[in-house]
This record gives sequence, structure tokens and C-alpha cells, in this order.
Amino acid sequence: MRSSRLAAADLVRVSLLGIGARKLRAALSVLGIAIGIAAIVCVLGISQSSAAGLQHELDRLGTNLLTVQPGQSLTGDQSTLPLSAEQTLTNGPYVQQVSGIAPVSGTVVRNKRIGSIITGGISIKAARPNLPSVLRGEVAQGVFLNAATSNYPVTVLGAVAARRLGVTTLRPDTAVRVGGKTFTVVGVLAPIELAPDVDRSALIGFAEAERAFRIDGSAATVYLRTDPEHVGEAAKTLAAAADPAHPDLVSVSQPSAALSARLAAKKTFNSLFFGLGAVAVLVGAIGIANVMVISVLERRSEIGLRRALGATRGHIGGQFIGESLALALLGGLAGCALGTLVTVGYAHYKHWEAVIPATVLPLGLAGALLIGTVAGLYPAARAARLSPTQALAR
Amino acid sequence: MSPVIELHDVRKTYPGPVEVLHGIDLTVERDEQVAILGPSGSGKSTLLNLIGILDRPTSGTLVVGGQDIAALTDRRLAGLRAATIGFVFQQFFLLDYRTALDNVADGLLYTATPLRERRRRAAEVLDRVGLGSRFGHRPAQLSGGERQRVAIARALVGRPALVLADEPTGALDTANGAAVLKLLSELHDDGTTLIVITHDPSVAAAMDREIHIRDGRIHPEPT
Repeated sequence: MRSSRLAAADLVRVSLLGIGARKLRAALSVLGIAIGIAAIVCVLGISQSSAAGLQHELDRLGTNLLTVQPGQSLTGDQSTLPLSAEQTLTNGPYVQQVSGIAPVSGTVVRNKRIGSIITGGISIKAARPNLPSVLRGEVAQGVFLNAATSNYPVTVLGAVAARRLGVTTLRPDTAVRVGGKTFTVVGVLAPIELAPDVDRSALIGFAEAERAFRIDGSAATVYLRTDPEHVGEAAKTLAAAADPAHPDLVSVSQPSAALSARLAAKKTFNSLFFGLGAVAVLVGAIGIANVMVISVLERRSEIGLRRALGATRGHIGGQFIGESLALALLGGLAGCALGTLVTVGYAHYKHWEAVIPATVLPLGLAGALLIGTVAGLYPAARAARLSPTQALAR
Repeated sequence: MSPVIELHDVRKTYPGPVEVLHGIDLTVERDEQVAILGPSGSGKSTLLNLIGILDRPTSGTLVVGGQDIAALTDRRLAGLRAATIGFVFQQFFLLDYRTALDNVADGLLYTATPLRERRRRAAEVLDRVGLGSRFGHRPAQLSGGERQRVAIARALVGRPALVLADEPTGALDTANGAAVLKLLSELHDDGTTLIVITHDPSVAAAMDREIHIRDGRIHPEPT
């Protein structure tokens, strides 16, 4: 004589049929788990995507840009770099590229009819022709200064300066008033992340600045690109290279450090949102357990009938665990899909590359299965314990 | 050949303690059609649960299909139910979300028969009970009489040695009840042993043998 048997495929079928018979209830009962898992996938996916976006930006800008500026003396006076600083820095160890800017006093306005008091926060700076290349800046319109145009009254506007001056499209006759003189605008820069002060400037050639505004031709801020492998060592020697007499009056900084710090912050776990997601999943699990308990109560006669047809306690328990697992898995799949969708959508909106850590989706599903088992244990045990005579009693 | 069921001095006590069956001796041979008659509270439902091995006796010997059930584990009992006994209930107990064909095929669910074979045999039996055109209907789309015929088909699909019917006509009108009774007695031709539990003398009269039960004891004559 044979024991009662239920093939694995039939167990799965029986479990799924129970859900199929109550579709709306199943959908509502998996909502909690779906939302919780979606929240967790979103938290991890969006933080990873934004970190990837920042990393991408850092890679593009490079972390090997150093800025050399005059620091403050002990008495609090602003010092200046020696005239030769730019030249000596070019010969510094690991230095690959050097460019510089120097402030020019004066205001920038759109035309003569605007008083010079309304500066719009735009400053005048003398710039070397290789400035965009060192800062990895892009020219949005027109061209940058070159060796020839540096000798003439022409200017290139930073992104913010151009907007404030109302220069949207360049024409051959586009001109602004720089320090009381008319300068032709030959180019507009795109925003430069590593040097925001350049964005708010009207850049002119050093030669023109020396001629028209009587500056001494030395750079006040020197930008350097160093060998990426030796940024730290280069930074240590640069103060002495810039001003051998007073290295303590020279400040050397790394503009990308702020971006790197932001990146590090993004990579730290967003535990608050993760916690909220976990709470949603827990509530979802309780929801499934609840629905399963009700289902067991409602289906007493089905349980009795199945026992009469030859089901063992194990078959009945297995059927209800299977239902609970299938519900949780449905919720898990829906949550993973929803979370992925939101992450991809948000990353697209932010112009990031969507990144979802490879472990998140399998972990989400494994978590859902675990929840399904735990949530189903008590209802399944109740169903299995029900004696067939009780279940069939009128 | 051994009898289909044998009961020797079977007693059943429920917590209380209340003894519901006070020593039942009963033998049903193969091919017999037996009616167990008694008023409500007589203990006939308890007897049905024991014969259907849905429950175990408190004391005494119960042999079903040649197996002494005291020696069997719950798992073996379930296997014996699946292989040996077909149940027909007063309330049909069909699954609302399953078609007539699948309800019948589920009669073989716990016997490790492949799905295709279960469906094939279910179709055969549904044809035999005259529901050949109702395979795809759900219970809600069937009349009471048709539902009971589906339930009878489900009891028969496993070719059980014993069909156990509990008030099979109780929820049906006279005409449908008569049709169901006729269908059950036709089983006799197939050599199926039938035990019908009822309080209705006209149902009992359609069987070969009547057993009267009252206050937990078998009486030789109606009382």
C-alpha cells in the first residue's frame, strides 16, 4: 500500500490556484511587501546612481588639479605671489600644465547707459590662453582667447557672467563694457565645476590687461595639472616653488577635494530610508500573515475535503506555505520592478547612469521568500492542525 | 476475499468525557450496498468519520481495506483514504474556482497520478454521470443535482473500493435526489461497495441492507 503523495508540480499548482481564485485580495496583500522592497531598491539604486554620476564627473574633471594662491600673512594682510611664480611652478616636480589668472579692478556692464555701480557681481580677470584646457572647461559659444586676441580689447565671458549680462547668442558685434572700455565678446564658456569664480568673470588677455589696466603681468591664482599618481607629493613642494622666500604665505588647494568628499558621503549607507523600507517590508509580512490566517478560516471545508481526498497534514501545510511564499515572491518581484523603474527614471532625469548594485535584486527576492516563509508558518500550521472531522463539520 | 470494512467493539469517546459510540460491531462485504439509518444525534456521523478513517476509534478494532488502522501512521491513513475511499457529501464541497473537470480530477490529486491522466479519467467519469457537456462549467453555473453528480464523479474517479455517501440527497429536491440515488445504485453494477448514511427511510430502502443506529448502538430492527 502506498502513502499519500503530492507531486512538487502539483503542490505549486495548488498553491497558485488558491491565489488565482482571490486575485484582488492577493494584490492588496502583496502591496506592503512590494512597496517596502521597492523603497529599499530605490534607496540603494538612487544613492549608487548618484555616486556613479559624481564619480563620472570626477573622472572627467580629474583630481590632479591644484590651485596655488597667495595666503594670508600672520598679521592678516593679503600677500601676493612673486612675479616669477608662474614660471618657477612650471618647473616644479610632477607639474604637467600651468595656467593662471589675475584680477583686474573695474566693473563689467552691458553698455554705456548702465551705471558702473551696477556690477552684477562680475569681475574682470586676465587669463592665459590655456586656461580652459587646464580647468577642463568647455567653450559654449565662439572661441577662447589666443596669443593674438590677447593683445586686443576682446573678452570671453564665464557662464554666469554671460547670463547676467544678457549675452545669449553671440553676434560679430556683441560687445560689453569692461572697466569703462568697449570689449568685443568672442566667446562664452560653459560652467566650470572646479573654478566657479571663473564663471562669474569677464576674461581678457594678459597683454591687453597690462596695456589697458596697468597690471604687472603676474598671476594671482595659478592652476596646475600634475601627474595624477603624485598629486600629494606635488602639492607639498609647490608652496616653496612658488615663493622660495616665504613658502608659508602660499596656499595650495585641491578643488576636487570637495567633490570627493561629497562622493564619500553618498557612498555611506542611507540608513534612515533603508530602515523605513525595512519597516514597510515588516508591515507587508504581517499583512500577508493576516490574509493567510483569514484564508485558512474561510477555507475550512476545502481543507477538510482535501484531507478526505487523501491529503496529509504536510500537504495542507505545504499548500498554505506555498501560497504565502508565492504572495511574497509576487510582492518581491513587483517591488524589484517598481524600484528599478523609479531608479532608472530618476537617474535619467538627473542625467546619471542608472546603477543598481547586482546584489540588490537577488537579495530583495531572497528577503521576500524568507518573509513569505515566516508569514506563512503560523497560518499553515493552523491549517495542518485542523482535524478533518472538524474541518468538514457543518 | 476480505471484507471492505470490519468494526469490532468500536467505541468513540469525546473529551467531556462523552461516549458517543458504545461498542459497534459491523462488517461490510465487497459489493454490498448498505444504508446506515438513524436520527440526528444517534452517532451516525461519528460512525461515518470512523469508517472514512477521518478519525480513529478510542478503542476497538477497525479494519479498512484489509488494513488494521491502529497500526497505520497518519501519512499511511491519508494514503489509504486516497486509494480506497471515495466521499460524497451532503454539501458537495466542490471548489468554486475550479471547473467541473478539475474538481473531478482533484479526486486523484493525492495519488501521484500525472495531471494529463487525472484529466483524462475525470472526463471519462463525467461522461458516465451524464455531464459530458459540462466539463468547463464552474460549480456556480451548475444546478444542485448537477453539482452532486460532479461530486459523485470525483468520488468515483479513483476507482475506490468503498464509496461513502453522507446524506447525498439531503440538499436536493425530490426529483434531483431520486436521480442521484439512481446514479449511486448503478455503481453496484461496477462492483463498488456503497455505504450511505441517511435519516431518510426512502433513501435507505434503495439499498440492499439497512443498519439502524440509535444512541450509539446498532439495533437489529427499526425502533
